[in-house]
Amino acid sequence: MRAKRRVVTAGTAAPTPRRTPTVRKLKSAFVPVRPRSSSATTVAPATPDGADSSSTWVDLSVDLGRGLVLPNPILVASGTFGYGIEYADVVDVDRLGAICCKGTTLRPRIGNPTPRVTETPGGMLNSIGLQNPGVDAVVEKYAATWAGWRVPVIVNVAGESVGDYVEVVRRLDGVPGIAGIELNISCPNVGRGGLQFAIDADAAAGVTAAVRRATDLPLLVKLSPNVADVRPIARAIADAGADALTAINTLSGIAVGPTRERPLLGNVYGGLSGPAIKPVALRIVYEVCQVVRIPVVAIGGVTVLADVLDYLAVGAVAVQVGTAIFADPTLPVRLVDEVAEACRARGLGSYRPLIGTALPKKASAPSSKGVEYRP
Amino acid sequence: MRLVGAELIGSREILPGQWLQSYHAPALATGSRAGQFVHVRTGDLSGLVLRRPFSINTADQATGTITIHFRTIGRGTEWFTHLRPGDTIDMLGPLGRPFEVDARSRHLLLVAGGLGMAGVRYLADEAIRDGRQVTLLFGAASARDVYPTSLLPDEIEYVVATDDGTMGHHGFVTELVTDYEGWADQAFACGPEPMLRALARQAVGRRDRLGVAKLGRKRGAGKAVPPGSPAARRKAFLQVSMEQRMGCAVGACLGCVVMTTSGTPQRVCREGPVFASEEIDWEGGWGR
Repeated sequence: MRAKRRVVTAGTAAPTPRRTPTVRKLKSAFVPVRPRSSSATTVAPATPDGADSSSTWVDLSVDLGRGLVLPNPILVASGTFGYGIEYADVVDVDRLGAICCKGTTLRPRIGNPTPRVTETPGGMLNSIGLQNPGVDAVVEKYAATWAGWRVPVIVNVAGESVGDYVEVVRRLDGVPGIAGIELNISCPNVGRGGLQFAIDADAAAGVTAAVRRATDLPLLVKLSPNVADVRPIARAIADAGADALTAINTLSGIAVGPTRERPLLGNVYGGLSGPAIKPVALRIVYEVCQVVRIPVVAIGGVTVLADVLDYLAVGAVAVQVGTAIFADPTLPVRLVDEVAEACRARGLGSYRPLIGTALPKKASAPSSKGVEYRP
Repeated sequence: MRLVGAELIGSREILPGQWLQSYHAPALATGSRAGQFVHVRTGDLSGLVLRRPFSINTADQATGTITIHFRTIGRGTEWFTHLRPGDTIDMLGPLGRPFEVDARSRHLLLVAGGLGMAGVRYLADEAIRDGRQVTLLFGAASARDVYPTSLLPDEIEYVVATDDGTMGHHGFVTELVTDYEGWADQAFACGPEPMLRALARQAVGRRDRLGVAKLGRKRGAGKAVPPGSPAARRKAFLQVSMEQRMGCAVGACLGCVVMTTSGTPQRVCREGPVFASEEIDWEGGWGR
């Protein structure tokens, strides 16, 4: 068949993409597998050349919906990585899957009185109280830097009312350098930090829907573990238009001061994070993944590769690393390499077959007894 | 800021429960200044998820060693005392902003309370190297907690106060300050917060009481120096090294803040740990 010169046909044109590129920014989707010892110095080749080396390339890309495609499933959690610039001296931020920045509110907040952090067995309590310079200052100070990075930056948004959330998101919408929104409707450390939204399915759906109407940015919603049954809430949020869920925020807790005269933290209550909460987070991810169809990003006590694989097994598509960064800032980047290596060891070209392997074959029916948890 | 492996060279208990350890870390020894600190990772003990911040007690560029001085107060600090020479630990540093000494200051007054010695010890070395005169006022609970003279440079004047009167002045170290505040061009302090608060109060009234000319009046008198900048701190009479429970130590988590007079909390790890005393809101007004 002879085609006219100007007409592009399947035979003459460059291979067409498999589907319309709905992606906002196409991040490099392939991560080379490198031995750990040389990971710091080896420079990866730009493209896989030939069929021989293709086995060493593992597809780690994650599609969180609405065009938010992460280069790999290791994110850094809100509040533990600042605005991404703080650790830039010691961490190659462009190798991360995404950065969730510090919780951002409409107006500047000075946060809670000190002490704000303390170590607890297997974890830490924090009660920062959403200290941040306000959304306008965040955009002004950091967005330009973020736009220059390859790593997507997801802005964590907190507020006291639906109006606050909508206004913050409006101001973030369309700003170059902002790849997505993570709705923090579950901060346990602020009296009016939006926790009321996370513990009620209707309120959670309401704020999600309102924000959904205000922006086209990819929208993640962070679930609170401080509820009896998270499943109806997760379902309501998913139905209200969230692109993905993040599970979980910190667990509410307190510590007592050394003199035993008062609770230690300035705010009395703090949020527990770290390895101590991993079983709780695993359970919630396990439950949520069975009742929603949108991607779930797991967070809670990730410190080694096994934690990542555990979360993937119960259905999460990606994980956020939080508290462990404080001890080991290079951990998230190392985990990226280790996940790729783990895939290769299993002969996988993608990490996706690792997802959901521990979920029941058929989704279990939601408990009819309220707060009873079925393993 | 760098992540380095530091090899333990020497470790000894210089005072009951207080340890002095030296580490081989050339990158930290050459790149650091007095007042900065390191954030050190504990061993892989289950349950310890945070690093521990330590002031750089001394740094020797020639041998590439730094020392840290700490009290054993928990499992983390306890772990450090079990290290053997040759063991390597993970240090993040140097962190924070250093003490700023005005180039024209000849007489420096250092005030340390207890373990606060670790905060100002390095400054004594730096000041002597620069040919300044140093008086170090030290306060402790009793004679058994007094920092040994043998660990201090010979060139400094060392004055001790103990709470129970077992050595030196009977009372608080802040009571010694009045004897020296006229002599000193600048003062630098590290210690418990009540001590720092008392010093800050004394420093406020100093100019009127002594009729001291303020440094920097002639040059740049009309120039506005942004508060919190190194230049502003260099002009301050009293600089304090603050302590706070710390998470990340790089400014990401906002755990270690102190309230400042500007009404904005400042991070001890990033804007501090050294602050000009007038920057700090000593009454701790959190607007509630």
